[in-house]
Amino acid sequence: MRNSAAFKMLFHDRASALGSIAGVVAIVFLVGQQLAIFFGLIGFTSNLVDACGADIWILSKNSDNVNSSQSLPMAYRDRVAGVQGVGWVEPLVTGGGLFKTRDGNTQAVQVVGVRLPQMAGGPNRYAEGSAEALIDGEGITVDRLDLPLYGNPVRGDVFEINGKRVRIAAITKGQQGFAGSLVFTGIENAKALTGLRDDRCTSLLVKAKDGVDVPDLVRLLKHVLPRTEVFTAQSLSISTRLYYLKNTGIGTSFGFTTLIGALVGLVIIALTMYTNVLNKSRDYAMLRALGARRRDILWIVFLQSFYVAVIGILIGFTLLAGFLAGTHDTALPSYLPWTVPPVHALGTLVLCLLGSVLAMRRAVKIEPASTFR
Amino acid sequence: MPIKAHSPKSPAIQLNGVSRDFFDGRQIRRVLHPVQLDFFPQEFTIVSGPSGSGKTTLLTIMALILKPSEGRVLVNGSDVTSISEDDKATLRLKNYGFVFQNAALIPALTVLENVLIATAVQGAPVTGELRRRAEAALDRLGMLEYSAQKADSLSGGQKQRAAIARALVNDPELILCDEPTSALDVESSTVVLQALKDLSGEPKAVVLVTHDPRVFPYADRLIQLENGKVSTDTGHSSKPKGSFDEKADS
Repeated sequence: MRNSAAFKMLFHDRASALGSIAGVVAIVFLVGQQLAIFFGLIGFTSNLVDACGADIWILSKNSDNVNSSQSLPMAYRDRVAGVQGVGWVEPLVTGGGLFKTRDGNTQAVQVVGVRLPQMAGGPNRYAEGSAEALIDGEGITVDRLDLPLYGNPVRGDVFEINGKRVRIAAITKGQQGFAGSLVFTGIENAKALTGLRDDRCTSLLVKAKDGVDVPDLVRLLKHVLPRTEVFTAQSLSISTRLYYLKNTGIGTSFGFTTLIGALVGLVIIALTMYTNVLNKSRDYAMLRALGARRRDILWIVFLQSFYVAVIGILIGFTLLAGFLAGTHDTALPSYLPWTVPPVHALGTLVLCLLGSVLAMRRAVKIEPASTFR
Repeated sequence: MPIKAHSPKSPAIQLNGVSRDFFDGRQIRRVLHPVQLDFFPQEFTIVSGPSGSGKTTLLTIMALILKPSEGRVLVNGSDVTSISEDDKATLRLKNYGFVFQNAALIPALTVLENVLIATAVQGAPVTGELRRRAEAALDRLGMLEYSAQKADSLSGGQKQRAAIARALVNDPELILCDEPTSALDVESSTVVLQALKDLSGEPKAVVLVTHDPRVFPYADRLIQLENGKVSTDTGHSSKPKGSFDEKADS
């Protein structure tokens, strides 16, 4: 009864209740979409690693992210292939390139050369064409979302990268990079485009045999190739993300906007909940006179904050789901790892209760004597 | 704090030498001089006096909301002057009924919920028995048919009747009323006063504070305050109920 009364008292002052809910929605949505874009962007940095299908990456010495590897002898591939527990090992070539567009401008791209037929590290989603397109020596892929950058080409169109002829053989989906658009091609073509020697590659991708402990295999490979960096795919993904977080300011930028979103919501909640309590002062004073203790009034306002939080979180996450669905597979990166929504909801709940502290303090100070005046 | 049940002959509440001072920013001002008052069950007491005479101060001290500067407040013989705020709140919940000026119903709740909140404000669940008691109280005041309506849809007289039902739901021994008819028309005032008068036929002490002399004929006992002092106290009625007219005339 008391709990339902708290709910009804809250919504009797609809403007104030809706204002509080709007504050929570603002926190959930503004912070949520900032986080989604942040995770989407940061996901771009490790896209190559996350979708490669390999368990282990071998990079040149002192590399701390997937794009910083210099070059490795191709001969390392044979040494790794001979290590017990290795299922397969494939070379990968990555390097920068300038894509000359139709209007004569250039566009920075990241060329990724994969070896057939395994094509480890290659694209796995195609909008048009397929992996077979890369068999063509000068064939490349471009991503669907990057087409406008190149003047909206179609398959078969010929362009230049680093002054060398390439032909668009397939169009990929979801293969965007952080440092530039990802352009996939065969490994030999990639070496030609980036100027890498024939006997070199930039990294080696390793798949462990079924049942083999990957960290154990990493230790073994470090022993076999001491002048390289050996990562599990997961640790390289994290290391790459951290590198870009530290060196691009993306973390600070998104952290600041996220903080602003949270503060805006917090202020809205604090003001509207406080107003709600002020508007209900007579009711609270009367309840105190009837026999409510201070903690009973506190409980009522706490519950009202909780109701506001829950309703706001539900609406906010519905809007956020709409945002995520609307931006899926678009140029606007948005992705929320499954761990983020529960933490975000809990954080919002705490912020909402924090925002209501002033209102709670005001409510418990209401004197029952005012009912008799 | 457990308070023992009263015997019909013992006072429901006693004010022993109770006074109250206020600091007005420059000096301490005595708004209620020491009073010695007992209020008995089955007695309808009206406390009257002009504005500033101390009647609301007296009422809030009786309600255990304001602490007296001196003296003691005894409920059913137990000294409750210095018990904790929480114990006072619980005592109000269990032993007191209140009827406020302008009814003070919660507009967001229905009439029935407004009555039930007086039982549930400390979080106790509303049982079927409580609901039946609330409905019986509303029925007694002729308000049962309005029980599902929002409080703010009622007229002033209906609100006060609902407030009386709220005051009755916990079957209190003491009912304190603060100017319950000040905002009502004559007809509604008559209904409300008669309802309160009827309550004093039960083992309940009803104390009504007002400055309206039109309500005096309903009183079993009249206390008048002037400048914080009791100027008139007609004393405890030994006559049958309804005989106050003669006393007031005298």
